[in-house]
Amino acid sequence: MAGFRLIDVAKPFLPLLPEVELPYEKIGFDDKIVYTLISGLIFLFAQFPLAGISKESTNVLDPIYFLRSIFASEPKTLLEFGLFPVVSSALIMQLLAGLKLIKVNFKLRQDRELFQSTTKLFAIAQYFVLANIFIFSGYYGNNLSLTAIVLLNLQLVGAGFFVTLLVEVVDKGHGFASGAMAITTITIATNFVADVLGINQFPVDDEGHTEPQGALINLLQSLRASHKTYTGAVVGAFNRDYLPNLTTAFLVVGLAAAVCLLQNYRIELPIRSTRARGTTNVYPIRLLYIGGLSIWFSYVILFYVHIAAFSLVQLVAKNDPTSIIYKIVGGYAPVNNLLYVPQFPLSLLTPPKSFLECLIRQPLTLITFTAFLVGTGAWFATNWQAISGSSARDIAQQFKEQGITLMGRREQSVAKELDKVVPVASAAGAVSLALIVSAGELLGLKGKGASIVLGVTGTFALLELITMDYQQSGGQSALAQVLGAPGGSF
Amino acid sequence: MAKGNNQIEKLAEAPVEFIKDGSAFIQKCQKPNSKEYLKIVRSVGIGFVAVGIIGYAIKLVHIPIRYLIV
Amino acid sequence: MSTPTPPGGQRTLQKRRAAQSAKEKQQKQTPTSTRQAGFGGSSNSVLKLYTDEANGLRVDPLVVLFLAVGFIFSVVALHVVAKVAGKLF
Repeated sequence: MAGFRLIDVAKPFLPLLPEVELPYEKIGFDDKIVYTLISGLIFLFAQFPLAGISKESTNVLDPIYFLRSIFASEPKTLLEFGLFPVVSSALIMQLLAGLKLIKVNFKLRQDRELFQSTTKLFAIAQYFVLANIFIFSGYYGNNLSLTAIVLLNLQLVGAGFFVTLLVEVVDKGHGFASGAMAITTITIATNFVADVLGINQFPVDDEGHTEPQGALINLLQSLRASHKTYTGAVVGAFNRDYLPNLTTAFLVVGLAAAVCLLQNYRIELPIRSTRARGTTNVYPIRLLYIGGLSIWFSYVILFYVHIAAFSLVQLVAKNDPTSIIYKIVGGYAPVNNLLYVPQFPLSLLTPPKSFLECLIRQPLTLITFTAFLVGTGAWFATNWQAISGSSARDIAQQFKEQGITLMGRREQSVAKELDKVVPVASAAGAVSLALIVSAGELLGLKGKGASIVLGVTGTFALLELITMDYQQSGGQSALAQVLGAPGGSF
Repeated sequence: MAKGNNQIEKLAEAPVEFIKDGSAFIQKCQKPNSKEYLKIVRSVGIGFVAVGIIGYAIKLVHIPIRYLIV
Repeated sequence: MSTPTPPGGQRTLQKRRAAQSAKEKQQKQTPTSTRQAGFGGSSNSVLKLYTDEANGLRVDPLVVLFLAVGFIFSVVALHVVAKVAGKLF
């Protein structure tokens, strides 16, 4: 095995893997906005029902319902797995390379390309594996014909393939920075709007009454509906559990506000130029130094745990309560004919459906789930800040190149001084985010808490990039003029 | 034995140290004043909801298509 | 307290040697990420996967967007076929 490197696996596939071209010339600000938005909208449009699912109801239900919104996935659509394979392969490959578990020499162009292709290949392979776990578990129907299996595979893997390419289009500089983050943020924003202001109607009873998806719209509609009393309408708007209700909406808004506040916690280090005298400024180090990435990482791990459990329980043990696997791992209990709720001990890592249920049935989850999020988040934050190329040493290097130094420090001790701040900031930030997420999730938001936190941090990251780009382009943008947006209002 | 104890102590100290450092850091942080905060919430909120509405419009297109084919 | 050691001598040499080897070690170390190597890529708060143009099937971004839409519509068509043909699968 000497001399073998994991990234060499991608070599035979290189001629087959599509590569989006880098832009020939600098892409204008407006074009970038359009590319980013269109990629996101195509992604949303791909949340389209799969063809070839058996119409008969199956007894295998959705086992990962609480992980869906954070990876922009929708059950029984082309995006069954959303962005999960893309995000997980990106994070895991980067961590493996950064912790020197696989050998990549990022100084060599060829190695970088191989690394990137391996990441892409890993993502597509995950789409394939996940698709087949779901197909053979009976999630899409019990007795699927061979044609149906092939068609489902084609659809799920094909969709995954295009998702990877959409992400690549944005990443390669046609859009704003990160495709995965832009697409997730757009999807989360869409889901939020649909949950609060959605006007599409769902049938709710046998008499033909319908209720809208949006919680706020539902309140207004119920108040005007003739078959409901005034108080009944208000109570129903806050309580209904079959569709989004106002209580969750308020909780989600509260979480978003908390993250907004935390996002602005920063330490401002005074800096001065080494070239020109008397020019001083501040260099902010954010508390949320690594943004929402730690949440993403925690949920990637959570996803792997639950998929592994699902394959064991469903594929091997057929969710049979008498089998040993069921007893060790924990099985699934169907709820509302829609969700597969994990049972003890798997439920220790599952956010409860409501806070009350959590207290009564599984109070231990409060501790285990929070501890899991905090632990993985802190571990990830400490490692990520060191390897992602924005560590104290890297910032010090940047300072040196730009002729900046910390006030009252010699150039040599800048890295040391920054090293006192950066790791603490990223770890403390990740832990506080983890606490916010677990508070939301334990109150029964079923993944909406985590996704709003990710959505808000994503919005911040994107807005920052967009304003920077806007200022660099000299504020020349037809779009901004149409919208009347003042440059750099953020 | 003493060495082993020492290590365990160190292991137990790590989270305590971490919490101490972290909370000290948070206390040292510059916090936005309410005016600044409102401005940020507004710009983020407007961006978030605007993108959401555009996305939701796309999702609405799904409804007639779903109705036709399912 | 111990008396301060006189300057120079064995210890300074040792220190110098240690500093030298630390420096060399740092130079030998390969960067841990694309960004650290100075070629863009994921930063502290932004996940960016694709930065280099690898040798492969080059495609234009617009082509990707159109193909993606085409793919979705082919699934729509599949639905229609399934409905028209009754029980296809």
